[in-house]
Amino acid sequence: MDFTLLFHAFGTVMLNPINFFFVFIGITAGIIVGALPGLTATMGCALLIPFTFGMPPIQGLLMLLGIFCGGIYGGSISGILIRTPGTPSAAATLLDGYPLCQKGMAGKAIGISTMASFVGGTTGALVMTFLAPQIAKIGLKFGPPEFFALAIFGLGMIITISGRSLLKGIIAAVFGLMITVIGFDPLSGVPRFTFGSQDLLGGVTFIPALIGLFGYAQVFRNIEKITILPPVKSKVENILPKLAEIRSTLVTMIKSGLMGTFIGSIPGTGCDVAAFVAYGEAKRSSKHPERFGTGVLEGVAAPEAGNNGATGGAMIPMLTLGVPGDAVTAVLLGALTIHGLQPGPMLFKDHLDVIYPIFAGMILAQAILLIVGLAGARVFARLINIDRRILTPVIFFLCVVGSYSMRFSFFDVGLSLIIGVIAYFMEYYEYPVSPILLALILGPMAEQNLRRSLIISHGDATMFFTRPISAAFIILALAVIISSYYRIKKASAREAQAAASGDENK
Amino acid sequence: MKKADIGVGVALIISSAWIFWYAGSYHEATIYYYGPNFFPQILALVMGLCAVFLIVNALRGKSLSRADRIDLKGFGRMLIAIGICIGYLFLMQVIGFAMGTSVFLFVLMMFIGQKGLLKRIVSSVMVSILVWAIFRFFLVIPLPTGMFEFTF
Repeated sequence: MDFTLLFHAFGTVMLNPINFFFVFIGITAGIIVGALPGLTATMGCALLIPFTFGMPPIQGLLMLLGIFCGGIYGGSISGILIRTPGTPSAAATLLDGYPLCQKGMAGKAIGISTMASFVGGTTGALVMTFLAPQIAKIGLKFGPPEFFALAIFGLGMIITISGRSLLKGIIAAVFGLMITVIGFDPLSGVPRFTFGSQDLLGGVTFIPALIGLFGYAQVFRNIEKITILPPVKSKVENILPKLAEIRSTLVTMIKSGLMGTFIGSIPGTGCDVAAFVAYGEAKRSSKHPERFGTGVLEGVAAPEAGNNGATGGAMIPMLTLGVPGDAVTAVLLGALTIHGLQPGPMLFKDHLDVIYPIFAGMILAQAILLIVGLAGARVFARLINIDRRILTPVIFFLCVVGSYSMRFSFFDVGLSLIIGVIAYFMEYYEYPVSPILLALILGPMAEQNLRRSLIISHGDATMFFTRPISAAFIILALAVIISSYYRIKKASAREAQAAASGDENK
Repeated sequence: MKKADIGVGVALIISSAWIFWYAGSYHEATIYYYGPNFFPQILALVMGLCAVFLIVNALRGKSLSRADRIDLKGFGRMLIAIGICIGYLFLMQVIGFAMGTSVFLFVLMMFIGQKGLLKRIVSSVMVSILVWAIFRFFLVIPLPTGMFEFTF
């Protein structure tokens, strides 16, 4: 960690009002996207990446970081007010947030959620700032077998946490990996599965695929259900929490922030897992666990600090090893690549001019989140009331623009629409789409490093198990998948038992 | 979801077999032993294996229960919306981005039941001009101009 560079980066970011402006825009856009049910932080980043194309990399990235942090926080607003989490990571927040709202304390819940997001997010950003360069140093020692094992570990983790079926998660991941083999083979230069199309020679472009998976699919669902979804009404008062309330929840916030950071830093997990674990731990260690779920402030503070802590945590493997912590960081990784920066240990050697401003920007984003969150909570709460019949076509249009503007190609728009339709059906048939996104990022890394390793070892696959780091990642991935298989099996047995007893009662 | 799982499983087996066979043709293209065919063929094998498990699970009655069902009327609405979008992609190239977008948004809002005429006009025109201005002046990214090259 070079403190001179860090202070210099703070100076660069803080002293330039344009940087403030972009973080502010990012945070505000993120909160709006996060607060609107059905629009996730992933989708927000995906839709707004095209708006960063013309910007210098740092400003573009600062805006995207703002959307990431704002989006994760924004999800709690709708969770608290209308019991519908704006993003999956806010699902734990509504457990106590909504009961607080029913007691007429919605403003207070949002205030504590904002404070907790700030504390958790700052904790995560600080840990990221100090830990990432150390991990990057370890990453420099990685060879092809380690990177292959890491990619498998990342995919293994996301498969186990997304969806109700492990098998369908694996199918989704393999489907994503199959998409990545389209186009020129990077090692031999042979075009694969292009069927003579010039547009496919470079492979399936990441942004259109991303917008298809997370943008179009959601728009299609919204249009399908437009007559079923009830209109919502929400309003809040008294946002600023009292000093005593902040003091009583501060320990929970810091502890949850640290836990969130740790969980977020495991490739493949993410903010939603961090929020639930933080909530569970806060409940377990509370003097009055029975009050959780009835509307206690710790029940809002813990998941919000946890999921915002995970934002910093998830950035660690993405920046240092090129392996995204979750779906949003996968999008950010794509954004970095578009701006000509390849995340991984070499980034810390070759592009310190970008890395340190990212650290500074992440910390700045938390401060702006606190100010914007507290000052604008009432407005954001009203945004939830926006007519879906106006909002959905606008998002549809943003998807079209986003998929077009990457290469100014109508082919990409068509491709994106097709991927959107596939993702729409996948969701209905319980195939999770997050593994596809991670596979799109990790696929080329897995393939190239697998083949390189086998070429180096003359076809001896045991090298993945004789090198300690690679063996550790593969064993961990297998252990997680096997344990998750038994967990899912147990859960479905319980479900079947409950259904059977329900039938008997009838 | 038994029928769906079996259907998907069969489709996956057929496509995996085809991918395995098609990727095999890349083998002769290079001198590499672990050439361009290697990874797609491994993926095809894994996918085929997963598909077999999916079918076996379904036949043993272990398919997941459905959490949500597609609303057929809504599905039709979605298909028409995609049709409107495809029409918009062609229209944009004829009358330009901003005007084409205004028409698209107006029509789509009307189609999904937004009743207020003024709301529809104002929101569709404002959003199209705002995004057009951001791309045109701020990001300097070219957008289709259509026959009205001088403006939108």
